[in-house]
Amino acid sequence: MSIKEGEFVLVAGASGSGKSSLARVLSGLIPDFYGGRFGGKVYFQEKEMRAIDRRKLARQVGMVFQDPEKQLVMNGVEAEIAFGLENLGLPQKEMFRRVAEVISFLGLTELRQEFTANLSGGQKQKLVLAAVLAMQPRVLVLDEPTSQLDPVAAEDFFNLVKRLNEEMGFTIILIEQRLERCFHLADRVVIMEGGRVVQDGAPDQAARWAAGSGLSLIPPVARFFSVLGFASLPVTVKEGRRQLGQLLSGRPLSGGPDLRKAPASSSAGQTPLLEVKNLWFTYPNGREALQDINLKVSAGEFVAILGENGSGKSTLLKNMVGLLQPGRGRVLIKGSDMSKNRGWHPGRLVAYLSQNPNDYLFQDTVEDELLFTMKNFGMEDDGIVDGLLKELQIGRHRRVNPRDLSSGERQRVALASVLVTRPELLVLDEPTRGLDYRLKAGLGSFLAGRAAAGAGVVLVTHDVEFAAEYASRVVMMFAGRIVSEGTRHETLGQSVFYSTQIGKLCRGLCDGILTFDEAVERIGPLLSGITVARAGTLK
Amino acid sequence: MLDKLFYKEKGLFLQSLHPLAALTYLGTLLVLALAFTNPLYLLGILLVVALAIRAADGLEAWESYLKIALFMMVLVMIINPLVVHAGKTVIWQGPHIPVFGRLTVSLEAICYGAAMSVRLLDIISVFCLYNLIVHPDKALNLFSRFAGKSVLVISLATRMFPAMVREMENIRSVQQMRGVDFRKGSAKEKVGKYSSLVNILLLSSLEDSLEIAESMQARAFGSGPRTCYSRNLWRPRDTLFLSGSACALGAGIWGLLHGFGSYTFYPQLDYLISGPGTVALLLIVLFSLSIPVLIGWGCGRWHYLKSKI
Repeated sequence: MSIKEGEFVLVAGASGSGKSSLARVLSGLIPDFYGGRFGGKVYFQEKEMRAIDRRKLARQVGMVFQDPEKQLVMNGVEAEIAFGLENLGLPQKEMFRRVAEVISFLGLTELRQEFTANLSGGQKQKLVLAAVLAMQPRVLVLDEPTSQLDPVAAEDFFNLVKRLNEEMGFTIILIEQRLERCFHLADRVVIMEGGRVVQDGAPDQAARWAAGSGLSLIPPVARFFSVLGFASLPVTVKEGRRQLGQLLSGRPLSGGPDLRKAPASSSAGQTPLLEVKNLWFTYPNGREALQDINLKVSAGEFVAILGENGSGKSTLLKNMVGLLQPGRGRVLIKGSDMSKNRGWHPGRLVAYLSQNPNDYLFQDTVEDELLFTMKNFGMEDDGIVDGLLKELQIGRHRRVNPRDLSSGERQRVALASVLVTRPELLVLDEPTRGLDYRLKAGLGSFLAGRAAAGAGVVLVTHDVEFAAEYASRVVMMFAGRIVSEGTRHETLGQSVFYSTQIGKLCRGLCDGILTFDEAVERIGPLLSGITVARAGTLK
Repeated sequence: MLDKLFYKEKGLFLQSLHPLAALTYLGTLLVLALAFTNPLYLLGILLVVALAIRAADGLEAWESYLKIALFMMVLVMIINPLVVHAGKTVIWQGPHIPVFGRLTVSLEAICYGAAMSVRLLDIISVFCLYNLIVHPDKALNLFSRFAGKSVLVISLATRMFPAMVREMENIRSVQQMRGVDFRKGSAKEKVGKYSSLVNILLLSSLEDSLEIAESMQARAFGSGPRTCYSRNLWRPRDTLFLSGSACALGAGIWGLLHGFGSYTFYPQLDYLISGPGTVALLLIVLFSLSIPVLIGWGCGRWHYLKSKI
């Protein structure tokens, strides 16, 4: 492949398809940093990349990685930006100028004196970008730069990248999984599979190809139109709405908004699995993280908690599982108060999956991880280990060290290690972070399966599409309070900003639609005369 | 809760010092606190440091340091008289105890313990002041010219420390939910539980370190000789404070060589003030040391002074 100057190339593909390796090849880290066997050559401006001096290369190609936490070296913001410049051996005067330029361009002036540890995730990633930009590269390679950020910070970051490309003429190579946010920014989309480039072309061309080959790699809007058999595929909500508006004009909308009613709570008379009553929580530093929370979760329910960073979602989860004790109010699990029952351990009844699966893994094999939890609770293996490993598709890694697995597999090992106790309530903190669409779908259907089997599932996520697809109930939090609660249609359907791409597409044109399947089912028949492919064929 | 112990940028006068001037000042305070034995001198230094802490808006932070310091002071004051039998003025005699011998408490030992605990307080307060007025990056920056790599390692370590504390907390929660009860079990079992916490932390840190190395490599680390970015400015005030520190240090050393500033506790207490020289020297030292406080106070009042210095 070749990339022209000033191009914005988006590289998409499933986990393990070789995207990140490609990025490292383009920035010269492979083979010089990693080693390994290799063949073929990479040229930068007609010069072989390996022959270019590292210093010169670093001034041409800059790279931003996934996790900002693992890229920062210095304590202060300014020192961090200057770090690369010091490495290049630039004179003082030149460093002053560049640091000043970058700080004002990225609007970091207020944070100039701040400690890096005090910044938010989005600010940290912006700082990483600043540190790379200060070296004045001409090519920017971004390896899933927003995978650890919340949607607002991610949007911010992409806007910045777009400006760099359009106003400053940077050549951008962006590796991404959240395609709905960046598909339209790119001039060219490269799709990878199993270490090969399988498609390379303009975004709409890529969208058509991906739709044709059955990959859900493309944004939901494009996928929707491709399923309905359209030749030109819109990649943004704006284009999609125009197209849909034209199509629907004059056609009757069947039935109007169909706010699907939640199934009448079957457990109306019974005690709910989890009940949070007037819960208040204050951190020792005086921050009131939770204010008057009331929430019930029944067996068989799948509840998604949405909300921006710092709104108290994780604190609520920790209160639910007994890791934090409420300041006021009560948390009841199957009717019994956890805080009063000190001898009783919630771990048997409640499984908790934290944000970072690495916090779980320390045994020599995957199997030992599961047995460790069982041993702690004095349980015998009655075949549940086999069952879980099989169900989570990690059976073939049974005797492998969990640290040798990919991040998606690690997460499933961590999940298995808390599910061995056959808990009735599953509590997960941002399990969708950093997962690609395929793994996300796998996780979603696994959890939905658990809920269908009678467990209660509560999870925190930033991923609205995920919540709309799998959750039966959605809770929205803001500044320590629940601001909205109800079925996904009641909450997400009414929100303008916290809505799915399909929801935004159909708003006002055909209300009450949130997910891809619903859209195909409801709108498909309206567009008579157009070949309608069934959604099922593309799942 | 811990954040009040760390440096915070507040744009204060004392925070605007060049790190060389600030570190020399703090170093002088530390050396003098260790060198003087005269309780008056030690109290004088404590007064100066307290004023400086107040000027650095750090009374609240100082309080947390004081809590630890007071505990240690009490300990020193109790233990010293019990184990040291050098004093002549015995005020209490206790029973015979195997290892220590006969318990005797002398006035001299009590006074020595008190003086030493003031010295301890001096030293702890100087560290408190350091945390209040010196930005760690600026201090490291000063040394990075001649010890670049060591400074980078220190910087990475200080950056990692709070992150690791947070990580440790998460791992502990996770282990708790997996049925590990940290309150129960024998000492040996507890060690086992905690060592697996550390084990997880180390495994994760090791993995993370590779990513940090990669990011450093991508930013041309180790590609050749480095330069050093420094935004520290040298103002007239730094010259003034540096000379103040030098003056205090010089006077202190001269005084110690000529018998001022030191004090004999054993076998019998000396006079606190052995002549006008003791007072004169004390005043000189205290004045030189309090220049930053005085100037800082003046700058707060008169804009003219601030613009000139």
